[in-house]
Amino acid sequence: MNRKTRSSARQAHCATRLATDILGPVTANSPPAPTPIRPARFPRWLLWSVVTIVLWGTWGLVSKIASEGVDAYANQLLYTAGLAPLLVFVAFTVYKQNTDESRKRRLQGIFWAFLTGILGGGGNIFFFQALVKGGKASIVAPVTALFPMVTVLLALLFLKERLGRLQWIGLILAFAAIYLLSI
Amino acid sequence: MHAWIFFATLALILWGITGVTQKLSTNRITSERSFLWFCWAMVALSGAVLVLAHPHAALGRTVVLCSIAGGALNGMGAWTSFRALESGGKASVVISLVSLYPLLTVVLAVLLLGERLTLLQTAGAILAIAAAILLSMEAPQKAQA
Repeated sequence: MNRKTRSSARQAHCATRLATDILGPVTANSPPAPTPIRPARFPRWLLWSVVTIVLWGTWGLVSKIASEGVDAYANQLLYTAGLAPLLVFVAFTVYKQNTDESRKRRLQGIFWAFLTGILGGGGNIFFFQALVKGGKASIVAPVTALFPMVTVLLALLFLKERLGRLQWIGLILAFAAIYLLSI
Repeated sequence: MHAWIFFATLALILWGITGVTQKLSTNRITSERSFLWFCWAMVALSGAVLVLAHPHAALGRTVVLCSIAGGALNGMGAWTSFRALESGGKASVVISLVSLYPLLTVVLAVLLLGERLTLLQTAGAILAIAAAILLSMEAPQKAQA
């Protein structure tokens, strides 16, 4: 997530995020599974994407409402309680999965996923603290959604990835946006 | 500087790092397993918060419900974004599209919470959303020899 889960997400966002995220917001990197081509007026992937926008967009709103009476630490506990049913569902799905990755790769993958969760959760706490400190949801949400700029910079510096022209433009716009939103 | 921008920047940095760690994870294991361990880390972090910090105990019902809903909405959003990718959506399109989510937050906050933005803030919010979409667009890969 990215986000998230985000996140990422994201994250994660959480993100993501989940992803992205995340995961905030979530960045999925494995190629999507091939699906049979059939005529559809409203493709399923578009439906899921719109549902994602609605879920994450509403998350920003309810977080602001919660920040009027909950501190960031209590929110982290309650947030995790909200995540619990999904955890059970995903655990069941993973239990049924048969994967052929080696034990070493699996452990490495789990390590990075766990670290993603810790960082994503830390990001959640700071996101919520920004709202507690009086940040408007209509400003904090767009600012924190700029997390791909950090991902892109890290990929540029440490993974030696090359940026496309659109990503460079995005990076410049991101700095301009942060300046405008912080004055 | 406003206190909120400091915390928002910290969130942005941590979430930005997760973009890399998540990639390192999903390069090795499935997105479902990665997401599961992401959730377990959330549980571990919450355990640490419970022991080390001292969260408020007396809380109103509405804010408690909103906090719980926050976790459910964010987690389900991550899950539906995976579904979008697995339903045949191109990663570049899906991730750019879902980057529009702050737009909905802005609309809802203005309509339901009565938040007001100055002209510069409105321009900043629009730029931020445009930037997030552009940043999510991966550069085309060169054909492998």
